[in-house]
Amino acid sequence: MPDVDVLVVGAGPAGCVAALEAQRAGPDLDVVLLERDRAVGSPVRCAEGVGDAGLREFANPDGASWVARRITRVIFLAPDDTEVKVAERDVGWILDRTRFDAFLAAEAVAAGVQLHVGTEATGMTRMDGRWVVTTRGPGGSDTYRARMVIAADGVETMVGRWAGLDTRVPARDMESCAQYVVQGIDFDPSAIYLQFGDRIAPGGYAWLFPKGPDVANVGLGIVALKSGGKSARQYLDDWMTRRYPHGARLGYTVGGVIVHPTIRNTATDGVLVAGDAAHMVNPLSGGGIVNAMKAGRLAGRTAAQAIAQGDTSARRLGTYHDAWMRMLGEDHLKYYRLKQALERLDDGFYDGLARTVNAIPEAKRTLGRIFAHALVRHPQLIPVAARFFV
Amino acid sequence: MLDASPPSRYPTPMTVAKLAEVARVDLDLCDRCGLCLPLCPPEAIHLQFNILLIDDAACTGCHKCIAPCPVRALAMVPA
Repeated sequence: MPDVDVLVVGAGPAGCVAALEAQRAGPDLDVVLLERDRAVGSPVRCAEGVGDAGLREFANPDGASWVARRITRVIFLAPDDTEVKVAERDVGWILDRTRFDAFLAAEAVAAGVQLHVGTEATGMTRMDGRWVVTTRGPGGSDTYRARMVIAADGVETMVGRWAGLDTRVPARDMESCAQYVVQGIDFDPSAIYLQFGDRIAPGGYAWLFPKGPDVANVGLGIVALKSGGKSARQYLDDWMTRRYPHGARLGYTVGGVIVHPTIRNTATDGVLVAGDAAHMVNPLSGGGIVNAMKAGRLAGRTAAQAIAQGDTSARRLGTYHDAWMRMLGEDHLKYYRLKQALERLDDGFYDGLARTVNAIPEAKRTLGRIFAHALVRHPQLIPVAARFFV
Repeated sequence: MLDASPPSRYPTPMTVAKLAEVARVDLDLCDRCGLCLPLCPPEAIHLQFNILLIDDAACTGCHKCIAPCPVRALAMVPA
């Protein structure tokens, strides 16, 4: 039974950064990173978009092999297809997640982390102040005795559950997503496209994220409770047929995005939960890569410090939860309320807003100006804004 | 003639099925995305060894996992 200091379950952005930071904060610690799939970064269940500033906290995208496209524009499409181009510089990047996750994992390994791929955590129990974690991998079954477990196991979020934390999601806060990798279609390769609408993607939105000059991730997310029995894939097929009828569908993926605020408790005795597993996705945008890395950094450092202090109790580890809530968790509660308010507005409202906003010169059309403009022209939005800022 | 039949003291077969349904997964369709796990109020769904497992004894037949499945791999069946 190998004794380890920090056992990280899941080698996505949260887990890789958690392992790396724990190892950096405690060079003498035994840090083990487990990945259930046979390769880090695969399968990709992600639209792969990431903001510029957040990404740069962790890695330099300029010329990096794990970048697919640089994005400098956002194009919103109203439900009636009215295009609204938003002028922004350095909006973000479309990653190649297969390479990006591998890059993060390699950084962790270079720092001294032991990475085991194809290895799944199958259960855990508390024994004498340690977590006894059973695993199954290429070499058969194994058992680890860990001072700290970092649960970065994604949407399925089983590790936190084993530790007694409530990681459940109400059905209205689960986006069901489907996505094709599409080749041979026309779009602005420096822009991401987002389309809202009750008939297009009820409760979510449809997206096109460029991966190359003529290849893009084309997908959407819906809330099943609002979809009237139609699946995410059926909505996507309808959208593809309408907008990109001649695109070659090279790949297909499905998955869930949890658009629920952070779980009530992200820490318990010897356990920290990070990333999608702790519902740390931005509930408004559905973006979670940078959030996961920020939480992973916090979790890794907290774990190393707690071990150094000889106190891995829930009480000690509560600082992780508090720090996360101050950093992003409280903002997510506001985004969550804003999302709920926006959901009450109908397609006609967005069609009207799009036409109003297009009266602003394109160079001045920033998101902030759009919002300010919308408040003046559409008084219905004022209570929404009030909720957002209160 | 149907109206003349006495009301049954027993639930119709339909009612029985509704009271005692459990979720089933079609593993040929299931993509192992894990979306249904946190949706399950009694935490009856598990993903292990690349297989989605539903604990019949824990499943309450609440249907919450059915519609959100992006590939429609889940269905309710009589227990």
